[in-house]
Amino acid sequence: MNSSRRLFLQGTALALVGCLASPLALTAAEGKAMIALMPKSKGNAYFLSCKIGADRAAKELGVELLFDGPVDSNAAKQNEIVENWITLGVDAIAVAAENKEGISTALRKAQKQGIKVVTYDADALADARSFFVNQATPEGIGYALMDEAARLCGNTGEFAMITASLTAANQREWQKKIEKRLAEKYPQMKLVAVRPCDDLKDKAQSEATALMSANPKLKLIMSICSPGVPGAAEAVKQAGRVGQVKVIGLGLPNENRRYVKEGVIDSIILWNTENLGYLSVYAAVALANDQLKPGAKSFKAGTLGEFKIEGDQILLGKPFLFNKENIDQFDF
Amino acid sequence: MKTPQTLERSHGWRKWLLRHETLLLVVLVLEWSLFYYFGTSVNRRGMTVGFGTLDRQFDILRHSCEIGLLALALTPVILAGGIDLSVASLLGLCAVIFGQLTHDLGLSLSIAAGATVALGALAGGLNATLIAGLRLPPLIVTLGTYSLFRGLAEALTRGAVTYSDFAPRFLSLGQDRWLALPVQAWVFFAVAAGMWMLVHRTVAGRSFRVIGFSPEGARFAGLPVTRNLAGVYVLAGAIAAIAALIYTARLGQAKADAAIGYELFAIAAVVLGGTSIFGGRGSVTGTLLGVAVIAVLKNGLATLPVVIRLNAAEEISGMLTGFLLLAALAGSTIPKLVSARRNRSWSNGSFISPSP
Repeated sequence: MNSSRRLFLQGTALALVGCLASPLALTAAEGKAMIALMPKSKGNAYFLSCKIGADRAAKELGVELLFDGPVDSNAAKQNEIVENWITLGVDAIAVAAENKEGISTALRKAQKQGIKVVTYDADALADARSFFVNQATPEGIGYALMDEAARLCGNTGEFAMITASLTAANQREWQKKIEKRLAEKYPQMKLVAVRPCDDLKDKAQSEATALMSANPKLKLIMSICSPGVPGAAEAVKQAGRVGQVKVIGLGLPNENRRYVKEGVIDSIILWNTENLGYLSVYAAVALANDQLKPGAKSFKAGTLGEFKIEGDQILLGKPFLFNKENIDQFDF
Repeated sequence: MKTPQTLERSHGWRKWLLRHETLLLVVLVLEWSLFYYFGTSVNRRGMTVGFGTLDRQFDILRHSCEIGLLALALTPVILAGGIDLSVASLLGLCAVIFGQLTHDLGLSLSIAAGATVALGALAGGLNATLIAGLRLPPLIVTLGTYSLFRGLAEALTRGAVTYSDFAPRFLSLGQDRWLALPVQAWVFFAVAAGMWMLVHRTVAGRSFRVIGFSPEGARFAGLPVTRNLAGVYVLAGAIAAIAALIYTARLGQAKADAAIGYELFAIAAVVLGGTSIFGGRGSVTGTLLGVAVIAVLKNGLATLPVVIRLNAAEEISGMLTGFLLLAALAGSTIPKLVSARRNRSWSNGSFISPSP
């Protein structure tokens, strides 16, 4: 009986050989720089959209691009993948950090081995990377939202705001910038209410309904959290006030595509994710080739041209407006 | 009383060659050599990279410590005919508790670590009470605590809080080396040695197999079944807590989702190591080899160029682990069925897993 057991284990071993023999033909690409790009999770459409831009950049630069990340957003997996890239000896790593402190351990280790590190989308600790490719400053987001709101309202009238919560740091910051822009540039406009929706679409919908009945002259609802945009749109649609009350906000194209096409939402504001991936790869390659060094004031990334650098952050620049005309070019 | 181990050992070196552990060792050496051959290369900066680097070997060791500890914890449990699905959830809970003890309560590292291990043992005690005390089925009990412990960890942190900023002295447990090896490897080896002594060299350890083989028989034979059975679950809890400390130190963070899914890898390692899932048969050495085979597979695959280009190391290693497990199970079960049928009797001196 034991000999047949042995046979089975030998069979297992043979099968392993079979599985492994195939890579023989495919050893590491000769002389090409290897750049590794990590999303927070690799099935996430947002990051797949980043990858489209990253692939384009890798092709232009003639580098090999590795793209791997956890199947779900898992900080521990991110570390293991970085450690794996270290032993693979990649030239540069670009990471969207799931956990700021957690990933920094692995990134510092990479830097010690001479691998250049940038972060994009979500930063790690400053000493664990050379640059952070910052997709949006609070000022950029806040001003773009306020300018768009004013444009749609003809620079005059009442509008209301939906936030995730009145305490969340990023929401507070965006709100402050919006109010600053409002005070400086649009004296004819009035912010009548700011309501939290707890990052829930349903709650945003009921808040939007309440806002409309409490403020009959309301011309626009602006949501600065992503579930709030479709929530407000649904409320406006159900109240039959499409066109009278406009909806804009910070959101994802896929969540809002239907409303944008129906004309309920005029525009949603975010950054161009493809450009984010493109810029991240360009920055990583430039770092690896010593063309980009700490202290630089600007950086040229292929066909996208010059980008501003503030301190150790490369700024992607102005947010991107998704509207009826361009929304179908994006899928995330 | 002759245990299966002593029976097998008494057949000498030819039997040793055919033992499950020996065959696993062959598989391990084979896969290691293959990865060494196909997964090592020189990059454009002239550095040797990939599987064949010392760093990679240390990574393998580091990555196997937590799953290895859980597998060690599970070995006596499964030997005694039980199962514990809650170990990885308990790891998550202990990691979060340790974070709270050090960060929110400001306890010193050693006190917090001690308290965490005690809490792990206590949580294991809950399993023990329900399984050994109330004689509830371990699969259902630990399925319950699997959800309970993870749920507690999430509730304590509201699913959002991550503890980081641990003292460097603590982080060195998971990130530095001591006497040439990663620090946590020493902890792992110590627990492994202790577990080997317990299972193979003590009366209590031998009783695990007897209990797994036939709990009623063990009771009639006057063995302290309830006490010993409770012991393995408490021990499993304490070891899960130690694994939690190592996990937290390696990543420098404690979060409620720590080690999700590790229990399945640990059970796979134990079963791959030749321990019968029905209890009664198995060894610590087998478990260690099972852990090594899975760890080398997981890490080695990630260094193969073709796998890297597919960006699917995690998925492929999951599939291959499953395949290995099934092959090992089939390898150890089918010959028995065949020989049992041939002999029309189950009493030909070989040990057969009792059907539940």
